[in-house]
Amino acid sequence: MPGDPTRAIIPRGGDIEAGGNCTGSQIGNARCGLRAQLIAEWGLDKPVVVRYVIYLGNLFQGNLGTSITVRPGVPVTQVIGPVLSTTLTLIGIATFLTMWLGIILGRISGWRRGGKTDVSITMFTLVGYSMPSFWVSLMLVFGLAYVVPVFPLQLQVSVDPVVNALNTLYYWILPILVFVITNVAWFSLTLRNSLTEVLPEDYMVTAAAKGLNERQQLRWHALPNARLPVVTASALYFGWIVSGVIVIETVFNINGIGLLTWTATQRNDYPLLGAIFLIATIGVVVGNAVADVLYTILDPRVREG
Amino acid sequence: MAEILRKKLALAGLIIILIFVFMALLAPVLVGPYQSSLQFTTPDQPPSSQHPMGTDESGRDILNLLVYGSRVSVLVGFAASFVAMVAGTALGLVAGYYGKVTDQLISRVTDFFLVIPWLPFVLVLVAVLGPSLQTIVFAIALVSWPTTARVIRSQVLSLKERQFIERARAVGAGRAYILRKHILPNVMPLVWAESVLTVSSAVFTEAFLSFFGLGWSGIGAIESWGQMVNNAYNQLAILRGQWWYFLPPGVFITLLVLGFAMLGYGIEEIMNPALKRRGGAVAMKKKLRASAVP
Repeated sequence: MPGDPTRAIIPRGGDIEAGGNCTGSQIGNARCGLRAQLIAEWGLDKPVVVRYVIYLGNLFQGNLGTSITVRPGVPVTQVIGPVLSTTLTLIGIATFLTMWLGIILGRISGWRRGGKTDVSITMFTLVGYSMPSFWVSLMLVFGLAYVVPVFPLQLQVSVDPVVNALNTLYYWILPILVFVITNVAWFSLTLRNSLTEVLPEDYMVTAAAKGLNERQQLRWHALPNARLPVVTASALYFGWIVSGVIVIETVFNINGIGLLTWTATQRNDYPLLGAIFLIATIGVVVGNAVADVLYTILDPRVREG
Repeated sequence: MAEILRKKLALAGLIIILIFVFMALLAPVLVGPYQSSLQFTTPDQPPSSQHPMGTDESGRDILNLLVYGSRVSVLVGFAASFVAMVAGTALGLVAGYYGKVTDQLISRVTDFFLVIPWLPFVLVLVAVLGPSLQTIVFAIALVSWPTTARVIRSQVLSLKERQFIERARAVGAGRAYILRKHILPNVMPLVWAESVLTVSSAVFTEAFLSFFGLGWSGIGAIESWGQMVNNAYNQLAILRGQWWYFLPPGVFITLLVLGFAMLGYGIEEIMNPALKRRGGAVAMKKKLRASAVP
């Protein structure tokens, strides 16, 4: 991570050489020598390689560090833990809906490529994809929570857990909608393209010749083959999610990992940021691995190769 | 039908892009000089004859800001994309052609940057290095080059095995020569296609950076569309119903990105013969009829 961590706690300048060595009348001040102390404590004076090894050692012991500014003194795992579940639920629902809608749209537009339905679906999804998610969020909040107050502007917390859950879900409708609008193109266009490559294949002619109606041809022959690139697309999608979530959580003030990341960035909380990046990266790698495994399960040809 | 659509799509995209480029270049002609902050005459005005798009919280004419904002998007978009493309193409070429250890090394580095989530990474970079024009362009380029490198590399890998390369090697051509004279020209169409997509993502990333308050600031900085939305958000324009403030910048961002997406999509369809094959129920029926016994 670029930057000097001690500066997060001790800003530059100040009338006492903030944290520097104090002389004479300044000695009583608690900040004297604080910077030197921090440097020694965090091992910042050691060479980079040594610090990396120490970091890895800590990692294997499950010690991801301690937050320094967002929640001073609290171990990073405790800061991240509670918010992670919120984000995962939100993303889980959103991703499920996006994939589901994307596959349906991709199927329809891919089957009759170039037709009117295809053109309109493609254009709509492309426009949705081009809209910056922060802007879509603002537009939706303006339109559906301000002008026509269908949705709440803020989350009302209540004591009753059931009411709380329902309120939360209702509040989440808008952020999920933003998610779907901006990401559905990813899936629908992938399926559409792969369907285009699959449909001219000879086995599709066979399927038609066998007397299957269009629905059956799609379901039993076209889609199983066209599905595969969508699986790969989903794997790549995981990398995108982490980025998308930051904006949505910040705008809608949802207490998840995205908001935490942004807060940590603003306050230069390096240990927390480092841990978040680590988790996000692991998530992406795991997502890719899962997609690879899924691919071998779904496509027997890959297994033999 | 689909053929005309493809060409139309790419053409429409190109026109949109050109409109914005001209807007950026001719800004002074279109709306006069750039208004910097101190115009506290008529703040928060809705659209009127004097200010066709209303004014913001410090009385600046929004239309003026909008038109000048195109300069930032065009500048940052093209600059970041240029850097990313040069780096990505160079590394992709080298990794693909030289192979073995070089390839492994470059691929590891590429993968490293590919796996890191781009938004937090770019946010942290600009937050720490400061939101000057150079750092923003650098940060955006840093997250954009890996995809290009990967794509170019796989193209080079398949080109490597072709006969004309083998013949060149047989005649004694050196590796650098082959790269320059044979591989590079064949990779260029892909480079162009990729650069279209890279510019669109660069514009997009700049908007996101701006929304988080990390847009271009400092001496001589022009406010970008993303920054306008950010200001609107901070000024609670939503709760005040000031749609003229946050609606237009977002529309422009969408249009510019859409323009590049359409162009890129159109180019991809032209370049990729597999997609050209007429798929779908219509084509299948034609095929069946053709092969039917008369």
